[in-house]
Amino acid sequence: MDEKSIRDELRMWILDRAGAEADRLSGDDQPILDEGLLSSLDIVEFILFIESVREEEVDIEAIEPEVFDCIDTLIEAFFADAPSASEPQG
Amino acid sequence: MTSALELAPRLTKASRQKSWDAHTAFDWPASLEPDSDWYMSPELISIYGTEAFDALSETEQKRLSFYEIVNFFSFVLYGERPLISGLMNRMYRKNTDGPITEYLHHFVDEENKHMIMFGEFCNRYAGKIYPEKKLVFPREYAVGEEDVAFFCKVLIVEELGDFYNLKMMSDRTIAPLVAKINKVHHVDEARHLAFGRKILQELAEQHCASWTEEETTRFQAWLVNYLVSSWGDFYNPAVYKDAGISDGYKLRKMALANETCVAFRTEASSKLVDYFLETELLNERPQF
Ligand SMILES: [Fe+2]
Ligand SMILES: [Fe+2]
Repeated sequence: MDEKSIRDELRMWILDRAGAEADRLSGDDQPILDEGLLSSLDIVEFILFIESVREEEVDIEAIEPEVFDCIDTLIEAFFADAPSASEPQG
Repeated sequence: MTSALELAPRLTKASRQKSWDAHTAFDWPASLEPDSDWYMSPELISIYGTEAFDALSETEQKRLSFYEIVNFFSFVLYGERPLISGLMNRMYRKNTDGPITEYLHHFVDEENKHMIMFGEFCNRYAGKIYPEKKLVFPREYAVGEEDVAFFCKVLIVEELGDFYNLKMMSDRTIAPLVAKINKVHHVDEARHLAFGRKILQELAEQHCASWTEEETTRFQAWLVNYLVSSWGDFYNPAVYKDAGISDGYKLRKMALANETCVAFRTEASSKLVDYFLETELLNERPQF
């Protein structure tokens, strides 16, 4: 999955979980937790979703809570290797 | 009615009489055979009663029951870790000094032994403890809410765990070692539950009436959310993967939505929910 698709997937999951309209998360630098879109209790479910997308487990002891700030920080922490949409897929 | 202060010395006495040693209580077999015995009682397996479970061969079901018991012991162990630290933080306070703190020492001691017991089983036979995927972000509390929430969490992990312990401790179809671990846990938990129910009831009576409507609504929403999401621990994609089942995440989502599984969770939670309604910590039954 390319990076753009992952960003879309993450945004859709968060909005769906929060039962929120799209404008609550229009930018990838918009805060997720401060906006009250997700709480501590949603994070477990969110991590399992992230693991299913990247097909690899998340090492919780190796991450800081700040990675859940916004979609940009999530991409950086969990999907740094995802190809950008313009790169040829092989 | 007995207060927590009156109950504590009786529990302390019982803990001393029933004391056991985590390092000598079990004869640990050199290895276990995941494919040829039942470990988690079949009807307690997370996907029991679903088409996905029926589609497995008996050998595959047994293998799944092994990883399910490792998962159960793993998340109970990880539930006991913050429980111990929370209990320790509450010792020797003005409102716990004396017999309550004396009992808290036993409570902590027993939870510490449970962690040794569960950790030994998981590491010895599965070579790992399933890691928990929880992060706790700081939040604001009303007066007394942090204590109330703490003992709610304690009661949830202990009541749900005990539902499983009770079923497995007398199940002759499962590996005797697993039945024994469940039994040993249950005997200690019976005291922890008696204490937990009492102290939480007293804390609720002391604090909840002073909360604003908004604080009460926020607390109840949190409690429902916490209780419902605690069940998520039972449906671990990593367990399904280890048991050789593909797309564990999809299986988890299926089971969380499956009618038979929902009915099971509702039934297994009923004692806990009744208690929360009686103590007015909740005002309606949650949907599982
Ligand atoms: Fe325990
Ligand atoms: Fe306990």
